[in-house]
Amino acid sequence: MTLVDDLQALLGPDRVHSHPLELLVYAKDSGVTPGEAVAAVLPETTQEVAACVRTAARHGVPVVARGTGTGLAGGAVPDLPALLVVMTRVDPPWEIHRGSRCAWVGAGALNLDVSRGVEELGLHFAPDPSSEAACTVGGNVGTNAGGPHCLAEGTTVAHILGMEMVTASGEVVVLGGAAPDPVGLDLRGVVVGSEGTLGIVTRVLVKLTENAPAVRTLLLTFDSIRDAAATVSSVIGDGIVPAALEMMDQPTVIAVDAFTRGDLPVGAAAVLLAEVVGLDAAVDEEARTIERIGREQGATSVRVAADEAERTLLWKARKSAFGAVAQTAPDYFLNDAVVPRTALVDVVTEIYAIGDRFGVKMLNVFHAGDGNIHPLVVYDAREPGMTDQVRAAAEEMMRVAVAAGGSLTGEHGVGLLRRDLMDLVFTPIDLDAQARLRDAFDPDGILNPGKVLPRGARCNDFGMIPEPGGD
Amino acid sequence: MLKQELARLARGLLADPIPGAPEAEFTITPDTGEDAAAILAFASGNGLRVRFWGAGNHQAMGNSVPADILMATTRLDSIVDWQVEDLTVVVEPGVAVADLEAGLQQQNQAAVLPEVPGTATVGGVVAAGLSGWRRLRYGPTRDRMLEVRLATGDGRLIRGGGRLVKNVTGYDLPRLATGSFGSLGLITEVCLKLWPLPPEHAMVHVEDAEQARKAAYRPLALIETNTGATLYLSGSREEIEAQAERVGGDLVPGHCWPQPLVGDTEAVLRVPPSDVGELVARLREADIDFQAAHGVGEIRIAAEVDQLVELRHAAERAGGALVIVRVPPEIDFDPWGKPPDGIELQRRVKQAFDPRGVANPGILPGGI
Repeated sequence: MTLVDDLQALLGPDRVHSHPLELLVYAKDSGVTPGEAVAAVLPETTQEVAACVRTAARHGVPVVARGTGTGLAGGAVPDLPALLVVMTRVDPPWEIHRGSRCAWVGAGALNLDVSRGVEELGLHFAPDPSSEAACTVGGNVGTNAGGPHCLAEGTTVAHILGMEMVTASGEVVVLGGAAPDPVGLDLRGVVVGSEGTLGIVTRVLVKLTENAPAVRTLLLTFDSIRDAAATVSSVIGDGIVPAALEMMDQPTVIAVDAFTRGDLPVGAAAVLLAEVVGLDAAVDEEARTIERIGREQGATSVRVAADEAERTLLWKARKSAFGAVAQTAPDYFLNDAVVPRTALVDVVTEIYAIGDRFGVKMLNVFHAGDGNIHPLVVYDAREPGMTDQVRAAAEEMMRVAVAAGGSLTGEHGVGLLRRDLMDLVFTPIDLDAQARLRDAFDPDGILNPGKVLPRGARCNDFGMIPEPGGD
Repeated sequence: MLKQELARLARGLLADPIPGAPEAEFTITPDTGEDAAAILAFASGNGLRVRFWGAGNHQAMGNSVPADILMATTRLDSIVDWQVEDLTVVVEPGVAVADLEAGLQQQNQAAVLPEVPGTATVGGVVAAGLSGWRRLRYGPTRDRMLEVRLATGDGRLIRGGGRLVKNVTGYDLPRLATGSFGSLGLITEVCLKLWPLPPEHAMVHVEDAEQARKAAYRPLALIETNTGATLYLSGSREEIEAQAERVGGDLVPGHCWPQPLVGDTEAVLRVPPSDVGELVARLREADIDFQAAHGVGEIRIAAEVDQLVELRHAAERAGGALVIVRVPPEIDFDPWGKPPDGIELQRRVKQAFDPRGVANPGILPGGI
């Protein structure tokens, strides 16, 4: 019996795909790195996921869990030919606990559907990646996804109270729960952001956040990125932590305006989108403070969204940035570096210089409030040598960010894209420790091998002590 | 022979026994993370058990740990780096929480650690995974752990996370270390995310805690004790007044936090927030001293040992736990109760950092 035979016996023929054309689709995400799949399966229950994992292990085939494929870092793209476990159908009925403000949802539930599903209770799921309408909660857990509103609320990990997970050995465990601080080691916390290398999360206990009674959204324009960045620092220095603080440079605004027809200030060198939430009494005052600081730092205009429709339009513009960029060239490469907020201006200046030096076209859009920069290099992969040129430029940009005290990724994940740059941030001993942690969950390396850590991260020679029983 | 070698290795770091600390052959106070790692490497290689010690505030938590070496963080007591504009601070574990917060307050910032810390150290609070009352608004301590340096049980000095407020590069070791009770090794440095302190602070005493929770918008804390319930607020004057209007009550300026419970026996109930009301009613009926954090699900209690069994059952039935903070030394009472699901994974993760099992051996649930 082949792997596909066994899987078909398990799930029936309709939920097992092995045609090369189908596999081509499943074995990629929304990013630039292709992968190879042996088969793709569509389980519907936790038990089916567990059975798929056990079956693949028996055949010695690695397993990669995947949601809707909105990732940009290759986290769900197989590094070795693998069985793809497509999690989109794993979404049993939700259990909403209003009193405890949390809900069990399936890994296949879409991010925005969760917030919509609890809207009438006055609650929402805080992580709001730009792909919120299409990405799954399981994928959010895998990448520890972010979004503009993570500035005040934190990334996904701060909103996951527990999970049901299939382990590498095909067992089902529940980590965490609705009660605070479960006893024992916080395995829940370490599974979030582990890109499916520690287990396959099938159900998620999400924390629900109260909707704010009032919101004020401001659009500030500037003649320079420097002035906009100075505004970001001053606002936070003033003791305000806005719900979101987003920046777009002129090329991005032009691309987005063409895409959304949002009546955006295309003449400005930089645009800052700021949002404050809370009680009416608080948001008016904070909005006034942001406006004052913006003007002090040279804002050329300040527009406050007059109503919900205008606010929605401004956010649509921001969240369309990647889609809009995709219309300017066939391919784009996303950077996701994070730097200390205070290093923002210097790093961004340097990144523009790198773009010029490598002769690549670039658009900059960033979560300025938490120092998460997204230089998007747009190009045409059909041009000979262009992909290499873009990758070289991107690597240079990451080096600059790391040298300024930053790191490789703020919300999109390490995946395949940044895996081989991990040694810019961590020492061999640090990486070895992470590899040991991974081995503790998956001793045979069957879950999404080749992700998060570079090959050869496990260095036995760092164990200064002989293995137990070896002496 | 072994003792001579250890004495030579720990030269200059040996200290007198610490009052109140359990007996151990050696008391060692490392000066640096490297010192701690070197001693742990030696201990691991020779099967010597190491118990970690901050200021002794949480030592009664967890299973009892026999020790050959007591490793105290007394000399790891520096504030290493404070980036005021980035709202991050890097500290060594021996820094007292009270000192850290007092320093941060000079720039109107806070690490939002427990409000009445006594002599507790940052390392102790992080290792015990404790949060302050304000976690209703700011989330638990683990969500502010940006970076950790850990001298592992087998003597490697490793770093996880980064000094950045947003970062998903690599596995989340800072969160794993939070609440690990020294089972992975000694935390030798942490980077914490800070919050700006709002200008005004006030309280409102409320009649009905559940109703106040529904009416207030994301207050700092809502604490009920035997004497009543109090809503804790901060923000601008206008904001605080608006909150008071929503819940209906008079503003009392400033914050007065519950003082630590007294008595031989203290425990904490951790339950889903929706179970707090029912448990509070039960505690009132049994005349047990309590401090309940509504919206969080944490209830600190001072009770008789024989009352704990029933309460533990109730907490575990609700999907939570009753964790012992302290019991009289002569009493043998399981500190954790029901071990968590995935206990084998817990065991293997401990082994990944401490293969010989010398770092606070057995302290966690399941004797891990």
